[in-house]
Amino acid sequence: MDFALNEEQRILRGQILRFAQDKLNKDVRQRDRDQVFQRELWGACAQMGLTGLPVPQAYGGPGLDSLSTAVAIDALGYGCEDSGLVFSICAHLLACVVPIWKFGTEEQKNRYLPGLCDGTLIAANAMSEPESGSDAFAMQTRAEPHGDGFLINGTKTFVSNGPVADVAVVFAVTDRAKGYFGGITSFLVDRALPGYLVAQKFEKMGLRTSPIGELVFEDVFVSKNAVLGGVGGGSRLFAHSMDWERACLFASHIGTMERLLEKAVAYTRTRRQSGQAISKHQAVAHKIADMKMQVEAARLLVYKAAWGLERSQSVSLDAAVSKLFVSESLVRTTLDVVQVFGGYGFLSEFDVERAVRDAIGSKLYSGTSEIQRNIIAGWLGL
Amino acid sequence: MNAIQIRTMAKDFILKEFLPGERPENLTDSTELITDGILDSLATLKLVAYLEKSCGIEIAPDELVPENLNSIAQIANFVQSKQAST
Repeated sequence: MDFALNEEQRILRGQILRFAQDKLNKDVRQRDRDQVFQRELWGACAQMGLTGLPVPQAYGGPGLDSLSTAVAIDALGYGCEDSGLVFSICAHLLACVVPIWKFGTEEQKNRYLPGLCDGTLIAANAMSEPESGSDAFAMQTRAEPHGDGFLINGTKTFVSNGPVADVAVVFAVTDRAKGYFGGITSFLVDRALPGYLVAQKFEKMGLRTSPIGELVFEDVFVSKNAVLGGVGGGSRLFAHSMDWERACLFASHIGTMERLLEKAVAYTRTRRQSGQAISKHQAVAHKIADMKMQVEAARLLVYKAAWGLERSQSVSLDAAVSKLFVSESLVRTTLDVVQVFGGYGFLSEFDVERAVRDAIGSKLYSGTSEIQRNIIAGWLGL
Repeated sequence: MNAIQIRTMAKDFILKEFLPGERPENLTDSTELITDGILDSLATLKLVAYLEKSCGIEIAPDELVPENLNSIAQIANFVQSKQAST
């Protein structure tokens, strides 16, 4: 067992880190305030290969292995202070690009992956509905056979990238009697199709630069070639996407935690109270020691889960453990950073209050903390 | 791996993982696993992961349907057909 990054991974990490620090952080406070998603930044990330990390070069991606993908996303989270942008890229990559690459037909891969990798196309995963969140398979959206394809009707909510996406991976009931396995199908639905409606864009507590909203499908006709992963294969495809998302999206939070840890160390070593640096107060130092412990443990969990994505064994348990630990560590870390910054941490100009707002969602998306505990318990046979 | 071996393996796994304390004779080759609620969504994924690893097969998303997994007999038939095609 080797815990060190290899030479290629070290170079990759350094390149992404420098790129993110140089190109992605300008005006981030203002962008957050105005809830601005910048397509130019998306394009810059695509040029770095970030929008298609594990996709083979034949389809326009850099072709990284899954562990290197996590290393790259970790570096992005460290270097980029715009967590909304990082979240949007990860949602596009892990819940849309990866399933197309893994389960798409050759025609689908050739049609979508080059554009999704080079930044000309943005993708969204449309699963949640107004009446089905954690109970995702209680969905009402249906796809009924029609001519040489299907007619899709329904409303999807909490669609990350929904307001700006060019194509959506949409999950719909095709056979309610079969239930979640066999009864749900995923479709690649182009924004340009008649009946594809971009509804409200949500105003959010955090991740404000990531556009999230509702999509409505009114008699949207898709050909049978739009089926992704076969009719009835939607549930397995979704579970696979969640494994990738839980393993790799949360790598970005390791980078965020490490950046905040360094920020807290630097601040507390120079900020003086009662005649000494506040880092000399154990109450402060212990919080920072806990941050270090959490980021180290989180990195091991994430890298193990990401490594497992390319092994024959299911990674669902590791991904759930990792997702749960990382998201809860992230929230704890951001709150502790505000605490050690004191009143200044409460001010927008110190940026750590934004980190708290951006962190809270991590305990909700990709399955809530409660769902992760259910999954872990299930794998333990409870 | 023949059909009897697959049935035995699948039955042992289901009893151990999802029906602890159940008498083995109550789980027959035709017991309906999904429609009777023995396998919920997570349990089904767990079973699939086990079959893929133990039998050296890869199950495509659209193969994960009740027709292939709703009983031990169906599981055995399905796994055998997958093994034969690889």
